[in-house]
Amino acid sequence: MSGWTPVALAADLPPGTVAGVVLRSEEIVLWRDGAGPPHAWKDRCPHRGMKLSFGFVRRDRLVCLYHGWEYGADTRCALIPAHPDLDVPETIRATPWQVAETGGLLWVGSRDAGQPPDLPEAMPLRSLFLDAPLDTARTRLRSGGLPGLGEVDLIGDGPLLRFAQGGHLFAVGGHEIGPAACALHLTSDGTAAARAALVPATAALRREVRAQSRGAAA
Amino acid sequence: MSVPVLWTYDLDEACYAARLTAALAGAEVTLRAVDVVPGAETGSAAFRALSPMGRVPVLVDGKVVLTQTEAILTDLARRGERGAALLPDTPEALDWLIFAARDLSAAGRARAAALFGTGDARAAGEARAALLVLEDRLTAQGLRGAGFVAGNTPGVADLALFPGFALSRDWGLGHEAFPALRLWARRIRMLPGFVGMPGLPAFP
Repeated sequence: MSGWTPVALAADLPPGTVAGVVLRSEEIVLWRDGAGPPHAWKDRCPHRGMKLSFGFVRRDRLVCLYHGWEYGADTRCALIPAHPDLDVPETIRATPWQVAETGGLLWVGSRDAGQPPDLPEAMPLRSLFLDAPLDTARTRLRSGGLPGLGEVDLIGDGPLLRFAQGGHLFAVGGHEIGPAACALHLTSDGTAAARAALVPATAALRREVRAQSRGAAA
Repeated sequence: MSVPVLWTYDLDEACYAARLTAALAGAEVTLRAVDVVPGAETGSAAFRALSPMGRVPVLVDGKVVLTQTEAILTDLARRGERGAALLPDTPEALDWLIFAARDLSAAGRARAAALFGTGDARAAGEARAALLVLEDRLTAQGLRGAGFVAGNTPGVADLALFPGFALSRDWGLGHEAFPALRLWARRIRMLPGFVGMPGLPAFP
């Protein structure tokens, strides 16, 4: 497996916002400062262990909801509101992951992940969260694509699952949340209205996968 | 128009929806705190005379007593100087307001079970299913460039739905699997006049 994993649609993290994601049971906070570059850190405030994804972005810093400690893009704690005059020691830092933005997706990588993939731009469809192992979801998508859209033509090989179906081109990245939970990050071509019209088919896929994994468990 | 009295419990999500609607609409209300937990004031004879089902919120204006949350939200929107735009005046807005009342009510029961031991713990599964349906809706709305559940601007339906998602962590459901709802909740939090509640801070 490559050292880089897609964990969200880039469009789902606008400037000035923060989101929590789970990758193989590791909690990660994604946030974007006002200027736009994404950041990915361990989802724990070094102070009291609060999830940083519960916090908010203010003046290009991620602020912990618990005591208001503020962290800059360089991971350093820049302000402790209870001690506003304190020159905060530079050892107080959030723990970073590597992060990259390509193909309309946000990717995280471990320290030794190497170069991130370099993919063409793609338009967001949605992130689909499924109660099933990632392998099950991928296999289902490779064989049938989205329910009700007809024949699936798989295209090439690469870090994303790419296929044509029903007059649409799809590129899908997946990430494992846990042994029985995963997310598929779907991008597509076409107008926003055409992509909006595909949302019911993605919901149908979620229902199918759920029914299938229930059947497997029974 | 006289100032109505809103009987409210700070930790109840339906009461919060009413306070939020009043704040965003600019409707003046007098708050009357009800001691639901641990005081069980909703079970008292005096309260039952006002609200026979023993539920908060209640909106009282003279002889007119409203006990259904969606009727209260709509009335508060009608009263506020900024509230006309919030009124559910399209079929879809009304449809999603009723979705909040019927399908997403499971979120309130799940939360009551987790916080007060008075709800229904089995409701968590129903509430998650309803939130997934809402996530699908807001995903499609977002792609169409409409930021809210029934249009480009927020309405009473959004405010009725908002607490069920925003407070879901109280009953153990995180927001990781709901990117469209997360962005929609942020849009609601950015509205001028937004107020929070305990467990849901209004970011400074």
